[in-house]
Amino acid sequence: MPASSADEEFRYLDDPEFVRDYAHDNGREMRFYLEGVHCAACVWLTEKLPEFVACVESLTLSLASGVAIVRLREGGSFALAARELLRLGYRPHPVKQGDSDELQKKENRRHLIQLGVAGMVAGNIMLLAVSLYAGADGKLGDLFRWGSLVLFLPVLFYSALPFYRGAWGAIRKAQVSIDIPIVFGLWMGTGASVANLLAGSSHVYFDSISTLVFLLLATRYLLKKVNQHALSESQLMHFLAPSKARRLRPGQSSYEEVRSDALREGDVIQVLPGECLAADGDVISGCGHINRALLTGEPSPERVAQGSRVNAGTWNLESPLTVRVTASGAVTRLGKILSAMEQSLSSKAPIVSHLDRVGQAFVVAVLALSVLGFLIGLRESWNEAVNRALAVAIIVCPCTFALATPLAMSLAIRRAAKQGILVKGAELIERLSHVRSVFFDKTGTLTHGELTVSSWNERVPGALLALLALESRSAHPIAQAVMRHFGGVAKEGRVPEVSDFEERPGVGVSGKVDGVLYQVRGATSGGIGQRTGTQVAVFREGVLAGELTLSDRVREDSSAAIRSLNRQHIATYMLSGDQETAAHETARILHIEPKNVIAQASPERKGEVLRAHPHSLMVGDGANDAVALAQAYASVAVQGGMEMSIRAAGAYSSRPGIVPIAKLIVIARETMSVVRRNLFFAIVYNLVGIAAALSGHLNPLFAAVLMPISALTVFLSTMAGTRRLREVR
Amino acid sequence: MDIIYVLLPVALLLGGGFLAAFAWGASKGQYDDLETPAHRIFLPDQNEGER
Repeated sequence: MPASSADEEFRYLDDPEFVRDYAHDNGREMRFYLEGVHCAACVWLTEKLPEFVACVESLTLSLASGVAIVRLREGGSFALAARELLRLGYRPHPVKQGDSDELQKKENRRHLIQLGVAGMVAGNIMLLAVSLYAGADGKLGDLFRWGSLVLFLPVLFYSALPFYRGAWGAIRKAQVSIDIPIVFGLWMGTGASVANLLAGSSHVYFDSISTLVFLLLATRYLLKKVNQHALSESQLMHFLAPSKARRLRPGQSSYEEVRSDALREGDVIQVLPGECLAADGDVISGCGHINRALLTGEPSPERVAQGSRVNAGTWNLESPLTVRVTASGAVTRLGKILSAMEQSLSSKAPIVSHLDRVGQAFVVAVLALSVLGFLIGLRESWNEAVNRALAVAIIVCPCTFALATPLAMSLAIRRAAKQGILVKGAELIERLSHVRSVFFDKTGTLTHGELTVSSWNERVPGALLALLALESRSAHPIAQAVMRHFGGVAKEGRVPEVSDFEERPGVGVSGKVDGVLYQVRGATSGGIGQRTGTQVAVFREGVLAGELTLSDRVREDSSAAIRSLNRQHIATYMLSGDQETAAHETARILHIEPKNVIAQASPERKGEVLRAHPHSLMVGDGANDAVALAQAYASVAVQGGMEMSIRAAGAYSSRPGIVPIAKLIVIARETMSVVRRNLFFAIVYNLVGIAAALSGHLNPLFAAVLMPISALTVFLSTMAGTRRLREVR
Repeated sequence: MDIIYVLLPVALLLGGGFLAAFAWGASKGQYDDLETPAHRIFLPDQNEGER
């Protein structure tokens, strides 16, 4: 990777066009997402930026989103601010605040105010109601009852608006939604109360329905906040595609650094070996290989030459390419995949969509039962008919379907995010609760993934230089370890040129040096002798020319995590592309049973194994695992691995090690048990309630009291149940 | 107990006043970020004079 000098980086932030696009308030304010923000000290440090950088007026950081608002003084430079932030240890990424963000904020505020009004009204009506329950009557009683009505009006005409909007939207599409029975019950309750009031009776229900509206609004607001808190689009993009690109200055032959989004069709960009492509385009010069695993799932590199179509998010492997851009940003193939993923982020888990369907049938049933209650009561009197219909409509609680389950799922996703795990959808939570076996990749997941050369034995002179020549072309962990170790030799410039270079993942690299064919292969344990660690052999024209041994360190916390999983009766396996000896050695340290170790597995073999084990979770990284991750019942991609895995997996863990994964499984299990508990409670409660209402044993007032209590119970049960997270021991 | 005819509207007026203050604060965005301000109370005071 070319080293861009510290001054070059972030230069594009001061580009006038960029500033016009991304900054507010006359180019004085810009938002940046800061990597690595996690505590109060980060707030303290970053908000001190004005003390380090004279041209920065202020920096305001939001811990929840990691987004900082940087405000410049006259003539200030965002690039300077960005460089300082990087020096403090927080890599900044400029964030565009779209119109939808502003709208969302306004909508949130409006909901909060509606909630506040409902709360104030409910509280005050309750005070009046307590007096009424205590026996206030006569003129005082009338005052309190009419007072309740007056107080209730803001709730009916302002706070309840979201429900009216939802119900109307559903009716217009000829669909059934949970808002409909809520509105129905609301107005029935209001109507009956007003009728009673005018008739001089004391049966008014304003206290109950205002409390109900308050509780429903509170849950919805919380739900919305939690959902919005789940990682936003700007963060996703940064994991997958580079935010900067090198563009040819028009009419010149030098390159300038620009933001990927600023690339336009027809721009020419340069992509060096080891870099990720920033846009879709056609190759106009250069030839080599690119790794398209992110888009195709295929780990083997694809040959490209002049005229080939390449995509954003793929990796250029060995030679510089010049590409003419055909699409950038959101319209690249990757961008389209991400927006599809955005929509699926709000997709519902099977259990939730199942409940949605049930919920719809439920709503119809409520209305039907209400009518039934009416008819049954009609046999006695009009009053009784209204009472029964009202009791049915009010007692039936849609809370579980509408609120508790989505809330539980959203809370689970948020909890996962706190562990550093980005979960793509609620579906993964549900699947994780059913997982019976976990398959771990070895290198990078269970181990630190940093191979180091532990020994080298040269049998034929020149083998080392040939090895270096070949490995310098590869980005494989083994190649990196070799280059790190022999870096000195490489720098001396004695490394020869290679022609016909070929890299095959899972097999090795090969090429011709001075016309002689050299191959570098992972050795099978029989040939070289039983030694622990990864063994690599260099062959010169088919004859063994040198042996290399590399070893990898096991992560300290892997053992504890494995034990914790085993204690929960989850079987643990190791799937590795590495050799038998190395794999078994690691398994021995981690207490994974030898029979559960599958070594020297090709990507296809890994896929086979996962297909053979239903209810399996695959944890891995690297291009080798992309196929396996996509095949597993549930999958999590782990940090330290290549970014392309994130597309194939159901979640991405940004913290190293497997401890977060073990915690994620606990989160999923507890969440699902809360969901099932709520479901059970809801069914029992509704059956009993409806029976009581239909048979006349439940008067509407009592129903009106029970309804918010049941909603509150379900709500509290969800919040409490998802709060416990046992430590991984 | 006739005093209640005065007390009740006054109490409600007071409550309404607080509600109005809440609505004003919410519309100004003071409730947008509830997490960070909780951490800010631990940060040392920035002295305006010193720079």
